[in-house]
Amino acid sequence: MILPSVRRRRIDGGIGLVLAAIYLFPLYWMYATALKSPAEIFRNPPTFWPHTLHITFGRVFVEHAMAHYLWNSALIAAGTTVLTVLLGTGAAYVLARHRNRWVDAALFLVLLLQALPPSLLVTPIFVAFNQLGLLATPRFAVVLAQTGKMVPLFIVLCRASFAQVPRELEDAARMDGASRPMAFLLIMVPLARNGILVSAILVFLQSMGEYVYSRSLISSDALQTASVGLRGFLGTNTTDWGGIMSYSAIFVTPILIVFALLQTRIIGGLTAGALK
Amino acid sequence: MKLAHQRPMFDIAMLGVPLVFLVLICAVPVVYTVVMSFQSVDMFTIMSLRRPFVGLHNYMALFARPGARHIFLNTALFTILSVSAQLVLGFALALFFNRRFPGAATLRGVFLAGWIMPGLVVGGIWKWIFAGDNGVLNAVLAGLHLTRSHPFWLSDPALSLYAVIVANIWLGIPFNMILLSVGLAAVPADVYEAAKMDGAGPVRTFLFITLPMMRATIAAVASLGVIFTLQQYDLISGLTEGGPSNSSNVAQYWSWQLSFQVYEIGQGSALAVLMLAFTAAVAGFYVWSTRQEQAA
Amino acid sequence: MFKHACRLAFSRLAISGLAILCVAPARAAPVTLQFWTIEKPNQVTQSYALAKEFEAKNPDIHIEIKHVDFADVSNDTMRAIATGAGPDLVTIDNPEVALFAAHNALADLSPLIAQSKVIDPKRFFPGPLASVTWKGHVFGLPRGSNTLVLYINDDAFKAAGLDPAQPPATWDALREDARKLTDPAKGVYGLAFSAIGDEEGTFQFLPWVQSAGGDYDKISGPAGVAALTFWQSLIDEKLASHDTLIRAQSDAFQTFVNGNAAMAISGPWELSGPISTAKFAWSTALLPVQKPGGTHASALGEHAFVILHNSAHPAEAFRFLEYVYSQEGRDWNEFGMLPSIRIDNPAAPQHPQAYATFIEEMKYARVRGPNPHWSVISKAIQAAFQSALTHQAQPAAALKDAQAIIDPALQGDN
Repeated sequence: MILPSVRRRRIDGGIGLVLAAIYLFPLYWMYATALKSPAEIFRNPPTFWPHTLHITFGRVFVEHAMAHYLWNSALIAAGTTVLTVLLGTGAAYVLARHRNRWVDAALFLVLLLQALPPSLLVTPIFVAFNQLGLLATPRFAVVLAQTGKMVPLFIVLCRASFAQVPRELEDAARMDGASRPMAFLLIMVPLARNGILVSAILVFLQSMGEYVYSRSLISSDALQTASVGLRGFLGTNTTDWGGIMSYSAIFVTPILIVFALLQTRIIGGLTAGALK
Repeated sequence: MKLAHQRPMFDIAMLGVPLVFLVLICAVPVVYTVVMSFQSVDMFTIMSLRRPFVGLHNYMALFARPGARHIFLNTALFTILSVSAQLVLGFALALFFNRRFPGAATLRGVFLAGWIMPGLVVGGIWKWIFAGDNGVLNAVLAGLHLTRSHPFWLSDPALSLYAVIVANIWLGIPFNMILLSVGLAAVPADVYEAAKMDGAGPVRTFLFITLPMMRATIAAVASLGVIFTLQQYDLISGLTEGGPSNSSNVAQYWSWQLSFQVYEIGQGSALAVLMLAFTAAVAGFYVWSTRQEQAA
Repeated sequence: MFKHACRLAFSRLAISGLAILCVAPARAAPVTLQFWTIEKPNQVTQSYALAKEFEAKNPDIHIEIKHVDFADVSNDTMRAIATGAGPDLVTIDNPEVALFAAHNALADLSPLIAQSKVIDPKRFFPGPLASVTWKGHVFGLPRGSNTLVLYINDDAFKAAGLDPAQPPATWDALREDARKLTDPAKGVYGLAFSAIGDEEGTFQFLPWVQSAGGDYDKISGPAGVAALTFWQSLIDEKLASHDTLIRAQSDAFQTFVNGNAAMAISGPWELSGPISTAKFAWSTALLPVQKPGGTHASALGEHAFVILHNSAHPAEAFRFLEYVYSQEGRDWNEFGMLPSIRIDNPAAPQHPQAYATFIEEMKYARVRGPNPHWSVISKAIQAAFQSALTHQAQPAAALKDAQAIIDPALQGDN
């Protein structure tokens, strides 16, 4: 009985590796291109791994002032995540807990307001923020706009987690004399923490790459984000694909590492049925 | 439920604050867009709302544009193919990684790479992979003797839309996989055990246990997929800019082109309003599906 | 006392509306000019270099530069004008000048130029001057110019038995040479150019139409059809990559630099960048004409400096433009552009052969427009060539559709 099971696991592991490898190929190609010399990048047919290493990470990082771009991206992503969690957690709970016409209408509204891509919303937002004087604090303005985009996503993701928490637990806490806010904070939030955490991380990672709002609302280069820096790099009259890929690699590698370290715990915990 | 009804203020506050925030940030621009779709607008008059009212003229002009039908069809294809493939592949991966084997959790996490990659970067990488002359995709296909000539994935009008769809599926798989994984984890283990006791094979278990239990999750993921797919802009901008000859153009990108490339802001807004109406239908479906979840 | 009198005199001047022309650097309060440019700070580029030099010479003026992406600069500027949050100075693509001028968004430079001791309008080449002129008034200053020529891989020519000293002078010769140079086995195309569906594609297409005797305003005429049929034959015969339809000019040129195309059509901006990595001998030639002895034509490109109408400091901004004008002699060697004015005693140009070709080609370079609806006209032209090149329509039919869009734009608020 033990042997076939071990074999099955090994085969599954092998298949899993192959699937992951296929899925990650675009990522591999980014790293491979980043490491190739300009001549090799454009070779036809392409080479599958760099024949001569041409490492430009340092040069790209310094020349494109990536340190401050990445800092701004992280700051905006962190601000967006905090604000989104603060605004979204309670809403997700209420929308999971109740079932009536008002709740339906609220859920509908939350989704409907997501209909238009930021590229179309940004002009009215720019005009409004300009009137309100919010453009004086441009990174905060981006946090606000990006939170508007992320709250619905967060609500939808978290709602499912709250829906899984047995209602009896909350009712029991109320019987014991806990107030609604206390029951919510001390019972519901801890029980749904995995869902909240995963959603928060996804919001953070999505916001790291935010482009349209940063580009339009931030006018000072010192406050600009890494994705806008990349766009400037990609712009007209550049064919420095090695540099572009190096930039992209520097941009996403730290996120990938942090995520790789965290994800086993979070998603493992989430899907292993920690709630049961 | 009874307890909740005694103190609705708490719920109203918890839901009200974020709703007010969303209305301020999102609804104002949406209403603004709706207003512009009935007006004659140019970039120099975006500040004032007092502009000539033109009724449905923008909508009629939009439909009269050459390529309008083609772009609507593209949008339908883009959405349906992207969402269904993301769902099927995401579900298959979620099921596979739900099996217990060493490294399953780590490998599953690896798939989230697609989620954290900025659309611009993804566009750049895929453009590079799809290049007709020295792209790696053609090199692989030629190496496997699958193609005789170089397909020009991005510049052949018969292929470009599908190339964009493939890249979009790649981007969307992680989101689908994670949500469906969470849904799978919520299916109680004893249900499976009971099925096993009854001698149900994996296919029967999937069809008669997993699928029905996952119905609400699937409906939710699909409707969210549609909504997010309709927002995909960075990728199209990075890959083909909707070309060649509109062959890979879709509504959300076209709307941007109309407003900001040829400055037909009225028509661009009209198209946005149509997308809004469609999203309303999808959002309605989502709300309906969450009701089913309650019933399940 | 003296200071006070000066200030009084100065404010009188201001009241009489002549402050704009009053140049009193030592006494004026320090002024900060907001300046948007498509150039990037990490390159040795004109905007940053000249602003820095200008600041050193004019301590009373500080220039704050912001980089705006090429694709976004018109939109951002319009939005800034509409919301009153605009810069003082900005560089916009020359076919867009008419749009901004027609909306009274730009400061009219004509009176300032008339008074200027530095800028002499007679020294401008006619094309660049026309590109910034709207209804007889000058609204911008070309920051330099560019145009298109034919780049040739000399080594590839010799290997194919062709003489690089005899570059193709006509369309037929170009196609004939391209056939000889194309080698699918080695992944080499005869020609690289851009037929992308944006302004760059229009920029590349119009010279062929003009060489055949047409122009944007009569695009569906025989010249347009001939030009588009010629382009179609290049793609259909695989003398140029099908990806030409989605490649920007610099992407297309990169394939030439890598030896994957034996000829390329592009501008002077390539000289300061990718060409240095080419591992072959190369030269430049005028764009071919339709028939022997036919009309030469090429495109006229480059951004122009404009001062926004609602700028609070037009006089200071204009002083900067005077400085830009005085430094046009450096355009070629330092900034990768052609000068927009006649340079009396030019420094020894880098790439002298290419310089000679470009200077010659500048004589035939034509303005796009000017027309405030240029973006509509250009989009119609792009749609036409893209649908013909993908065989969704015949050239004549595609161009007829374009003409139907262009005609109302021509009659607009011209």
